Amino acid sequence: MSRPIPLAFGSACALAALMIAAPAMAQSNVVTMNTVQIFGTIDPAKINDYTEYMAAVNLYDGLVTVDEGGNIQPQLAESWEVSDDSSVFTFHLNPNATFQDGSPVTAQDVVYTVDRLLSINQGPAYLFADVLEPGSVAATDDHTVVFTLSQTFSPFLATMPAVFIVNADLVEENAGDDEGQTYLATNVAGAGPYMLDSWDRGSRMTLTRDENYYGGWHDGAIDEVRWIVTNDEATVRSLAASGELTMTSQYQATETYDAIAAMDGFYLAEEDTAVAFYYKLNTQIPPTDDVHIRRAIACATDYDLIREVILPGGVLSTPLPPLFAEFHNNDIPAPTFDLECAREEIAQSQYAGSGPIPIVHSYVAGTAFEEEIALLFQATMEELGFEVTLQPEPWNRITELAGEIDTTPNLTQVFFGPTYPSPDSMFYTQYHSNAAGTWASMEWVLNDQVDSLIDAARATADVSEQAEIYRELQALLVEIQPDTFLLTQRVRHAMSDCLTGFQAIPMQSFDYDMYRYTWTCDPNG
Amino acid sequence: MEFLYFLARRLLWSILVLVGLSIIIFTIARVVPGDPARIALGPLATQEQVAALQAEMGLDQPIHSQYLGYVGGLLQGDLGQSLLTQRSVNEDIGDTFAATFELVVATVIVSMIIGVPAGVMAARNKDGWLDNSSRFIALLGVVTPAFFLAILLQILAGYVLQILPVTNRMPAGIDFQANITGLMVIDTMLHGRFDLTVEALRHLLLPTIALSAATIGQIMRITRSSMIDVSRQDYIEASRAFGIPARIRTFKYMLRPSFVPPLTILGLEFASLIGNAFVVEMVFGWPGMASYGVRTILQKDLNAVMGVVMVSGLFFVFVNLLIDVLVGYVDPRVRIRGTR
Repeated sequence: MSRPIPLAFGSACALAALMIAAPAMAQSNVVTMNTVQIFGTIDPAKINDYTEYMAAVNLYDGLVTVDEGGNIQPQLAESWEVSDDSSVFTFHLNPNATFQDGSPVTAQDVVYTVDRLLSINQGPAYLFADVLEPGSVAATDDHTVVFTLSQTFSPFLATMPAVFIVNADLVEENAGDDEGQTYLATNVAGAGPYMLDSWDRGSRMTLTRDENYYGGWHDGAIDEVRWIVTNDEATVRSLAASGELTMTSQYQATETYDAIAAMDGFYLAEEDTAVAFYYKLNTQIPPTDDVHIRRAIACATDYDLIREVILPGGVLSTPLPPLFAEFHNNDIPAPTFDLECAREEIAQSQYAGSGPIPIVHSYVAGTAFEEEIALLFQATMEELGFEVTLQPEPWNRITELAGEIDTTPNLTQVFFGPTYPSPDSMFYTQYHSNAAGTWASMEWVLNDQVDSLIDAARATADVSEQAEIYRELQALLVEIQPDTFLLTQRVRHAMSDCLTGFQAIPMQSFDYDMYRYTWTCDPNG
Repeated sequence: MEFLYFLARRLLWSILVLVGLSIIIFTIARVVPGDPARIALGPLATQEQVAALQAEMGLDQPIHSQYLGYVGGLLQGDLGQSLLTQRSVNEDIGDTFAATFELVVATVIVSMIIGVPAGVMAARNKDGWLDNSSRFIALLGVVTPAFFLAILLQILAGYVLQILPVTNRMPAGIDFQANITGLMVIDTMLHGRFDLTVEALRHLLLPTIALSAATIGQIMRITRSSMIDVSRQDYIEASRAFGIPARIRTFKYMLRPSFVPPLTILGLEFASLIGNAFVVEMVFGWPGMASYGVRTILQKDLNAVMGVVMVSGLFFVFVNLLIDVLVGYVDPRVRIRGTR
């Protein structure tokens, strides 16, 4: 009998050497970015979360898009007109625009896209719930499409980047019995700059650029985009160290950003965003139904400590992040930590002198920085005579609690950012009575004056008039203090030195439209 | 005939277990907080949109009607639609099961290859340094959480030494579809892409080590104690008295009867790893069914959660049945007992 053990050992060693020796392939002009969740769907009528929008914004084009200042920019439409009462929007399509299969983009495609969106009634359809009805979009010729709204809605143009145009002929060919939902769940029928190359739902998605993109390509454009699904910090670090990652997600731990930024070939890109972080105060239940208690909480919040130590972010002085510069009320000073002011406000409240004031502070369970903020709140408020109950809850539970006034906690830590680049997205969703009952509106403001200001801004097409209304609205909201305005979120990415182009954009995941990015190193280097 | 009766009885029990499992999971999935329609449509969807999707999913029906509807689909092999991926749960599980299966098979193979010989060596050197050090390492493997070992391996092999890939089943730039068996190692070989077989093995190595540490420890310990028990049997003493060489005595007369307990444990591990591999899958970005299951739980994707649990349950029951048959083959006494 031969000697199997040495032979097996030798073979194992050889295999191990072969496995270890195989190097990771270095790539240039390819962006590899990690995402912390999978891509659920790429059907533009069903997209919802940040990964889905991130894919859609690269695979599809809309009539218009949005820039870093929140300004609407042409995309498939080269120009547009708005009626005086902001109820009729006419778009003129770029006659050279084509889908990825080379067929021209026509007004009929736009009509089909919107009708399909409204019919499926998911994804971005909520944006048009009260303003568009089936049949309210018409093609007047091959390159002109008219949207007639059922009511005046001045932010309509700002919502349009969320409508990604599909190739009607291609979808109809594959419509099946579900309006192409099965087909578009895994296939692309768009005019975007990148084509779907491969997609393993649980682990990654790869896009390659469409050489025939109607918009043309700039020097240093990204050839290939790879998204790797992982939320593990050690994995992200290892991928960066081995050269397999060129850009981290925006959801890594601070230590991970610092570690990767310290590596050769990486830098840290940081931008303040339009996402605001609030204490949302339930204005309908004791003791936060008393404005003096709400103001006391605002005075007793150590903003600098939170912004500089616990969760890096920018200053937020009103409900509206400063990124909306044109509409921001700059006369309102940033809130400051002042315990004397807090004591004075408590003394003026109806709950003064009645023993410890009970208050419930809720936050997302398992989120370390929210827990730190909650503990800081507890320590400060108990010093001021409050009896603080901390109530960590799973996010799904918080969304349920937000459904009723009585179940909404006194105070909940919540992030909220615009879903379209208009102040309306911040004000209507959080403060209008018609939008009450969601996690975004846990304040239950229910205030006629607030409602009428929001409605007035929606009803006018005059931007300066809108700005005036929004400034007045901010002053009113600071006065009645339904929130404590903690900070604006700062988005961070550790990025390859060769990659530029990241800019925070106040709408969904438009920051990750890779068409805007540039590879600055030699592709063959 | 009596053995067939035994098998039929086990099959019937298995069906009852699966029915019970379906009822429990169906109920639990519906009482945990969160409205699946609201989660699927996003936080800003209108109440009308949410209500429409609830009606489409049948969530506005009484829970017993929902259950009967689900079972009706299940009997036709239809696991329903996933809210997370917007496609059939059958397709999702079909795409992800093979990745988990490959990882688990690799884990079981590695556990056997290392655990059984280590157990035999430890038993043959009872209370010697080899035995003591093997037991210490086995204990360490059992008590070390898989996620901890996974992260440790990642840092060591991926970050510090940079010798092995730390995520996925293939490098990012390679688009290879495992469309024959679904097992990347096998399919690359069947396609004659041996360069990719090496890549598949490289990607498989770290998750397999992380997942198999505890199983190796268990197999090693059980093989050792089982071997020691058997070594005290009279017939082993007799074989020793007859002068049968130690190697033949160990491998021919002791190992086979000692193999029943580790085989049983291995079977249970094999089945439970299908569901329990999620920690390692999440750390290594392994696109398997276990990590899919976790994501669907977080999204309260009811059909997908049910689908993953039922497939895991079915696999568990099937493997247990198989192990019963195998144990009967290895140890005739079990076969005879089973017919009574």
